[in-house]
Amino acid sequence: MTAGAGLADILPADALEAAEEGAVRLGHLGSPESVVRPASVDEVVRVMHWANREKVGVLPLRSGRHTGPVTRSGPDGGRWIALCTARLAGIEIYEAADLTFTAGAGTPMRDLDATLRANGQWAPFDPPYVLDRSLGGLVATASCGPLAAGYGELRNHVLGMTVVTGDGRVLRLGGRVVKNVAGFDLIKPMTGSRGSLAVMTSICLRAFPVPQHDLVLMLAAPSAQELAKAAVAVVTAPVMPVATVLVDRLEAAGGAAALLVRLNGATDAVHADRRTIEQHVGRSFEALDPSASDAVLEASRDHAGWAAVRLLASASPSRLTDLLNAIRMAGPASFTVDPYPSIARIAFEMAHPDTLSALTRAVESIGGAVRVEHALDVGLRQEGSQPTPDETRLVERLRTAFDPEEVLWPARS
Amino acid sequence: MQPLPPSVARRLRDVVGAVHVITQADRLLAYESDGLTAYRVSPRAVVLPASTEEVAAVVRVLHGEGIPVVPRGAGTGLSGGALPIEDGVVVGTARMNRILSIDPVDRLARVQPGVVNARLTDATRPFGLYYAPDPSSQSTCTLGGNVAENSGGPHCLKYGVTGRYVTGLTVVLPGGEVVRLGGAARSAAAGLDLVGLFVGSEGCFGIATEIEVRLLPVPAGVRTLLGIFETMEAAGHAVTAIIGSGLLPAAVEIVDRATIEAVEASVFAAGYPTDAGAALVIEFDGTEAGLDEDAARAEACCREAGAREVRRATSEEERVGLWKGRKKAFGAMGRIAPDLLVQDATVPRTRLPEVLARIGAIGDEYGLKIANVFHAGDGNLHPNILFDRHDAAELERVERASREIMKLCVSVGGTITGEHGVGVDKRAYMDLVHNEVELDMLRRVRAVFDPDGLLNPGKVLPPERDPSAELPSGRPAEVGA
Repeated sequence: MTAGAGLADILPADALEAAEEGAVRLGHLGSPESVVRPASVDEVVRVMHWANREKVGVLPLRSGRHTGPVTRSGPDGGRWIALCTARLAGIEIYEAADLTFTAGAGTPMRDLDATLRANGQWAPFDPPYVLDRSLGGLVATASCGPLAAGYGELRNHVLGMTVVTGDGRVLRLGGRVVKNVAGFDLIKPMTGSRGSLAVMTSICLRAFPVPQHDLVLMLAAPSAQELAKAAVAVVTAPVMPVATVLVDRLEAAGGAAALLVRLNGATDAVHADRRTIEQHVGRSFEALDPSASDAVLEASRDHAGWAAVRLLASASPSRLTDLLNAIRMAGPASFTVDPYPSIARIAFEMAHPDTLSALTRAVESIGGAVRVEHALDVGLRQEGSQPTPDETRLVERLRTAFDPEEVLWPARS
Repeated sequence: MQPLPPSVARRLRDVVGAVHVITQADRLLAYESDGLTAYRVSPRAVVLPASTEEVAAVVRVLHGEGIPVVPRGAGTGLSGGALPIEDGVVVGTARMNRILSIDPVDRLARVQPGVVNARLTDATRPFGLYYAPDPSSQSTCTLGGNVAENSGGPHCLKYGVTGRYVTGLTVVLPGGEVVRLGGAARSAAAGLDLVGLFVGSEGCFGIATEIEVRLLPVPAGVRTLLGIFETMEAAGHAVTAIIGSGLLPAAVEIVDRATIEAVEASVFAAGYPTDAGAALVIEFDGTEAGLDEDAARAEACCREAGAREVRRATSEEERVGLWKGRKKAFGAMGRIAPDLLVQDATVPRTRLPEVLARIGAIGDEYGLKIANVFHAGDGNLHPNILFDRHDAAELERVERASREIMKLCVSVGGTITGEHGVGVDKRAYMDLVHNEVELDMLRRVRAVFDPDGLLNPGKVLPPERDPSAELPSGRPAEVGA
């Protein structure tokens, strides 16, 4: 690994990571020619201009641990560098009374969580290992967890962002207000674009007050299939939990499958909602001790979030049993399902392409879809449901508008 | 206005039937404007297709002839987004008014774009479900228009705007191609969020012909309060206190003294005290058990902020009464001035007291009466400028005051429109929030969907070189509410 020719001329020395360090840290992604760590929007612009001139691919990342499927070589098999957002970190503006904050893309979610909670607020987004991720990584992958049912998906709460496009243009999108229709909503395609349109440098997100009461209910059974009926009953009850998740096995349930239901709100309301749900399901749930519930939630959140191969599968809530059957047939190491909206996170330690193909076919046959979220094995990365030709055509045109030279190539693969 | 070539008119009639192609001048009058009636342009024709296939065929005919298309829902928009253009044809969705499916287990509905917003809730209520976004015009506006504008409404403070609820779309692109985007069950396959990008594109990307939306369970209970304040500033502080306390009301709406006076002097009199400086309507919904506590906490916030009175509805009839002053405000203003310009901007909520004071000062400076009615909980202002369009000097002052208000809102971290859209009305202000690089990117993204620029041209984006050169004449004048 050698420093990219010319990078030292356009960036200060501290913006260039030691080659050996980068090689160790990002080895699982392949061999970037350099790792650059810009500390300002201007430095990101310089990098992107350089990359366009030199025809070098750029992969934006923070730690790289949650970077999705990428090829191990640059565009057309050529050179590439990693652009690390670690120095684009820190809270820029926190308007606690407005429930909004703006922070650098490289800001660790753990730091943000601590700051928000010190003010009685939080960011209710709970994909696996959320606190180990960066704000930019979270938004770039549009990662959600069970709390999306009650608080809405992350994409609905990104209020603004500053980005540098593939060809080095700076765009300030959105703002710091919760309602904004001044022009087309470019924040939506940016959220979840996995670095394929632009490099995010800072992001404004909505915060929420920490709920007065946070109750976690649990129902255990020998298998997830046996909890499917109860899960559907929960998500069709006349009250809406902020989160519902089905876990194939959970230590807190003695290693059995568990259905967790989370209720937020005023204390009286939470207890009333519990009664409504139990009545609707026709079964009693165990209420977890508040001192233990955080650990249980964390265990379920991360349960299927780290493995050699990870898939996301979606289907209608009404097809939950079919979805569970399809997952069982594939024989994963672990899985979780958020029954509403019906999203499964499926982890394999090893998987054959045929297994993934069969799972994809089974899920598609019930109207759903599958995506490979992570796979160390390059050969598995093309598995899963494919976008329609119409969507592919529009997406390609959109990417060209942001990145005409295809410098931000990885997510295109 | 050039009439359509006979061969084009014939082909359009072949697609939708002769009765659904309108070319007679007297019938075109109804389509000359949307809710922003200051601008009026007669289209060459109006075509009313009844299905995705008919929309696609109509659009293909027009695209092949190089004739611009202006999509139109119910025409209730307040920014001129559905304003015809002289050489264009309006494609209306009024006949596409079927609710295609309601799935109570998946909590989804599939509708055609001409379904009236409130009708969807009426249809889903028997299942214990409803459609959350509730624009003030919900009894007449249609879901296709809501998608185009990413419409909000009073209860979007808690529930979010249209974009949060749209999960899938069937869209006819400007060249007549039919594309299907998203779909709740296929969310795992989502690459770039094309559905989210389409929502709020103001009819510039395509015509949505089928819309899949999420539904929510109907809240079990509701509590409505009316806080009466001596000043707008005190009411603004109450809003900040309520939200800052961790409460999440379904709605927080403000009316100011000028509005109260107008309402109370009208047939819509709601019993608001006319000597009050502001009235705050606060509503909570959800599980019955927690509502009284929430309402009590909000009442305490109001009193600490200086409310002289806080009323609480004890029946549905009383609730309707408390809301009446807010909901009938626009109608009532017709009594006190011949014309009304409804402005729309958003500011960070905590800046409301300061911004409202400065809007008042702008009104004084320009000798204009400005009445404020707005969604305070999310900082979405509607300063309403009262004027007489026949007074040319006053009209010019309205123009200048409007820009001052927009600049003010942007200067405190806000934006030029929170829910009405840009349309033609706000194009001149786009340079306040976007530089030329950003405007260029918006143009590129538009070209992704409409490379020939034939769909709703002249909307949203200012002209490339001189943003003020192509403002439509006669701006601003009266608008509906």
